[in-house]
Amino acid sequence: MGENTKVKKLNKKDITKSMWIYYAGAELSNSYERLQSLVFCASMTPVLKKLYDTDEELSAALKRHLVFFNTEGIFGAIIQGIAISMEEQKANGENVTDEAITGIKTGLMGPLAGMGDAIVWAAIMPIIISIFLPFASNGSALGGIMPLILYPAITIAIAYWLIHNGYTLGKKSVVSLLHGGKMKSIIFTANVIGLTMMGALSASYVTISTPLKLGFSSGTQIVVQDILNTVAPGLLPLAAVFIIYFYLRKKGPYYNRILLTVVAVSVITSLLGIL
Amino acid sequence: MSVLMLAVCMGFYYWFCRLRFGYTFSSMLLQPVVIGVFVGLLTGNMPLAMKIGAGLQLVYLGVTSTPGGNVPSDPALAGCIAIPLGVMSNMTPEVAIALAIPFGVLGVFVDQLRRSTNAVWVHMADRYAEKADTRGILRAAFLYPAIAGLIIRFPIVFAIDFFGVSAVEKLITILPQWLMHSFELMGGILPALGFAITLSVIGKKSLIPFFITGFFAVMYLKLDTMAVAIFATCIALLLGLFQLKEEAI
Repeated sequence: MGENTKVKKLNKKDITKSMWIYYAGAELSNSYERLQSLVFCASMTPVLKKLYDTDEELSAALKRHLVFFNTEGIFGAIIQGIAISMEEQKANGENVTDEAITGIKTGLMGPLAGMGDAIVWAAIMPIIISIFLPFASNGSALGGIMPLILYPAITIAIAYWLIHNGYTLGKKSVVSLLHGGKMKSIIFTANVIGLTMMGALSASYVTISTPLKLGFSSGTQIVVQDILNTVAPGLLPLAAVFIIYFYLRKKGPYYNRILLTVVAVSVITSLLGIL
Repeated sequence: MSVLMLAVCMGFYYWFCRLRFGYTFSSMLLQPVVIGVFVGLLTGNMPLAMKIGAGLQLVYLGVTSTPGGNVPSDPALAGCIAIPLGVMSNMTPEVAIALAIPFGVLGVFVDQLRRSTNAVWVHMADRYAEKADTRGILRAAFLYPAIAGLIIRFPIVFAIDFFGVSAVEKLITILPQWLMHSFELMGGILPALGFAITLSVIGKKSLIPFFITGFFAVMYLKLDTMAVAIFATCIALLLGLFQLKEEAI
């Protein structure tokens, strides 16, 4: 690196552009072989083109980012930010090895995927859908339009914040994110809201009741559903949710097997007149 | 709108939402409530399209939140078939949901096909990287998977929607009463699957009392969803506050 070389500096726009490419294609080119490696490399292209002048350097950098990569696409933005800042240092002649860049990426993708799945997919998404679900059940288009606007808007804002934080703070940004109690309490808060909402929706939308009547020779009849209701309303729906829940916990995510079981149970109980 | 046009539009919609263009945007696009809006606009019967969409949404509520990006069941294929067929033949939402289930399962195989073909593009990108061809890499990441997706996904939805409407109309008139009733039962039980999945994805057993709180807040106190959301947020924030205080002491 010559003494007179200009310092190569990326601006905010370059980094945001990189975020948009990753956001646009995080799942699009996902393959069984290297998962998100292709889109990660693609998202680095505007940055790398600006940083490296010769074809050899550019080619080496592109190959560096085609190695296996997979994480949650919103929280993954912070890894992008860090990788970009490392590439910038490398391009300016600092001693950043290929292994260091790949190491940071592969080291962070697991923990950030866990965090992203917990917040973006297990909390924000079901909460937004379920808040507007009553509109849909009443036949209003708002039940679909509002989630379609809010979910991307909120998650893109998070990705934007994370990539710029990752870029300016580098490795420090992740340390504060992973070890600060703040993230833990955000996940806790989201989980509490999510679970309470799921409970509320189960009460409204899972509808199971039995028409069974027990007849006695004296002529009196006992309506089974009335007895259940005096214990607590909604016992059958609650039981259905928890039977499936415990099955999932014990056996794993065999959704289709459960679907078919529900179909079979419905047909049989309908024939027998139990439900 | 004619059945032909509807089938064409749904075929393209399925392709586009499953293209996964825009990470969280597309994942919302493939939810049944959003497909319901699209079908409502096309058919002019927004109320029924949304009601079927809402019912299907409950079944698949937790499915997309499964980690790892694997599709265990495809809400988009179920929605792109059951909602238009349901609206065109004026089904009750319960029957439409029962109709959707097999297609949700079929969608899994379609997605496996996509991910397998995607391996071709990453090898192509290896060669572009060798030549420092950044435009080539962008093409391999966006354009080629999109074209392959169109070939894989469009025909399935188009064919089933196009030929399905008249077949389904005939089918419904000959269904016996006990079978119709079992469809209603399915419509009532299947949402439990969606909630159970979400529950297991959130994962912490110790937090289940919050689920039960929400459940009985509706059963006994007859609160609506928005009210539960507001109270849950306040409770969560207050609990966080106490937790932090304990740590500080």
